[in-house]
Amino acid sequence: MLALYWRLILVRIQAQLQYKISFGFELVGTALATLIEFLTFAAVFERFGGIGGWGLGEVAFLYGLAESAFATMDMLFSGYDPAFFSELIRRGTFDQLLLRPLSLPLQVFASEFLIRRLGRMAQGLGVLIFGLTLNPILWTPAKAIYLGLVYFSTVAFFGGLFVVGATICFWTVESIEAINILTYGGTGMISYPMHIYGDWMQRFFTFVIPSALLTYYPALYFLDKPELQTTLWFMPFLSPLAGFGVLAIAFGLWSVGVRKYTSTGS
Amino acid sequence: MGRWALNDGMYLALIRLAFQRQLAYRTANLAGFATNAFFGAMRAYVIIALFGTHSAVAGYTVQAAVTYTGLTQLLLSYVAIFGWWDMMRTIRSGEVASDLSRPIDYFWYWGAQDCGRGVAQLFLRGAPIMMLYVLFYPVVWPPTLWHWLALPFSLALALLVSFAWRFIVSLAAFWVQDAVGIGRFAWTVAIFMSGFIMPLAFLPPWLITLMRLTPFPTFMNTPFEIYLGILNGPALLGALVEQGLWFVLLYSLAQVLLKLSVQKLIVQGG
Repeated sequence: MLALYWRLILVRIQAQLQYKISFGFELVGTALATLIEFLTFAAVFERFGGIGGWGLGEVAFLYGLAESAFATMDMLFSGYDPAFFSELIRRGTFDQLLLRPLSLPLQVFASEFLIRRLGRMAQGLGVLIFGLTLNPILWTPAKAIYLGLVYFSTVAFFGGLFVVGATICFWTVESIEAINILTYGGTGMISYPMHIYGDWMQRFFTFVIPSALLTYYPALYFLDKPELQTTLWFMPFLSPLAGFGVLAIAFGLWSVGVRKYTSTGS
Repeated sequence: MGRWALNDGMYLALIRLAFQRQLAYRTANLAGFATNAFFGAMRAYVIIALFGTHSAVAGYTVQAAVTYTGLTQLLLSYVAIFGWWDMMRTIRSGEVASDLSRPIDYFWYWGAQDCGRGVAQLFLRGAPIMMLYVLFYPVVWPPTLWHWLALPFSLALALLVSFAWRFIVSLAAFWVQDAVGIGRFAWTVAIFMSGFIMPLAFLPPWLITLMRLTPFPTFMNTPFEIYLGILNGPALLGALVEQGLWFVLLYSLAQVLLKLSVQKLIVQGG
């Protein structure tokens, strides 16, 4: 099964390398652009001397984690990107997938794989490493493992949002742009310490959509921030539950959607 | 001049049609509005947190800076800061062959349509966002009558310069089969250099100097500095002249490149 996935993905990658000029521009372009974005921000940061009591290194940690995890998800879950998936439904391509004797989620995973996301991923990792070097973290094996877990939980969380966005297409055909608020907007939001936002926003993004649990609370623990004192002790450790929980719920909704699905064809 | 007069009706029709096309996408506009509102709120929080206890930074009060974030949401679809693919798509599909054979200037054929699109976006997506800002924040208004008068000119020029830039980028589709990557790269450059992310004044001086050598700040930062009353007197007039000069320069460049590009064009017949 996995071997087949790799083969299909390899074909997708080869196809994207056909237009070399376009691809090169894009890869260098996105990496450069996102880097400029961070440098701009760092420069502005220097002028203001921090945000909500957090320094450049601490925000770099949040920002790098959010950016690199989102870009990783954006590549792995390209097939579930609502903008792409709605095309599969509209053109009837999804009907073909239903006919094949292969796992459906796997086929959707293999139907697109955008390697140009590597540009943003590299930049995000760069900023994350920069952030880590600026912060005096006492590393233990458990902490290192947990950081990896937080990373993959964030990937799973955003992947779940993509799957929900795709599931909505079973009913609406067109992708719903409002999901962008949670995906692209959510990445932007968790790039900053959550306490700078209004109370309604913090509560909504902790208890309804658990974005804050993914990186903000773990960051309090890794960076040993004073905010940790006023937080319940287990809050920094809910990241895997939030991330993989959302992904599991999303695939649950997805299978309901598949059962409800009645093609667009005549 | 005679040809222009003959085509007047046609350009107006193009503007009107493009305007109406935008009105047709009701759900997309509504969703876009929700997205703009969310990003607007988020960026306002970030600005307020950045200012913290500072009362003014680089000539901006916190109210002015929050208003600035509202203005970016107001203009982002007007100048299509996230990208514009309409023209590139017709070049790739071959529709360009019939567009080029129309008795109408190709630059203004798209220019007129972009004008209709832009104005529709300004009222559909921009104006409601500004109203939200007025409801929730003590926004700043242009300080004098002169600033109010200069604003429409600056906004019109911002659209024209950004259009000329998008037209030039779209010409790439004449030269390479898949110009999407070049497009994405070009739009990204404009996003960062136009002052969309942060007011230019917050950046280090050397970076501001570098950015001022490009047309991008005239898409957004210039009209915003006029609105906020940061530009006054001769500087205000100078800013308008700068926008005008950028348009003339990019327009001329577009004409030269268009001539070269059309010679490259091969449409697969059928």
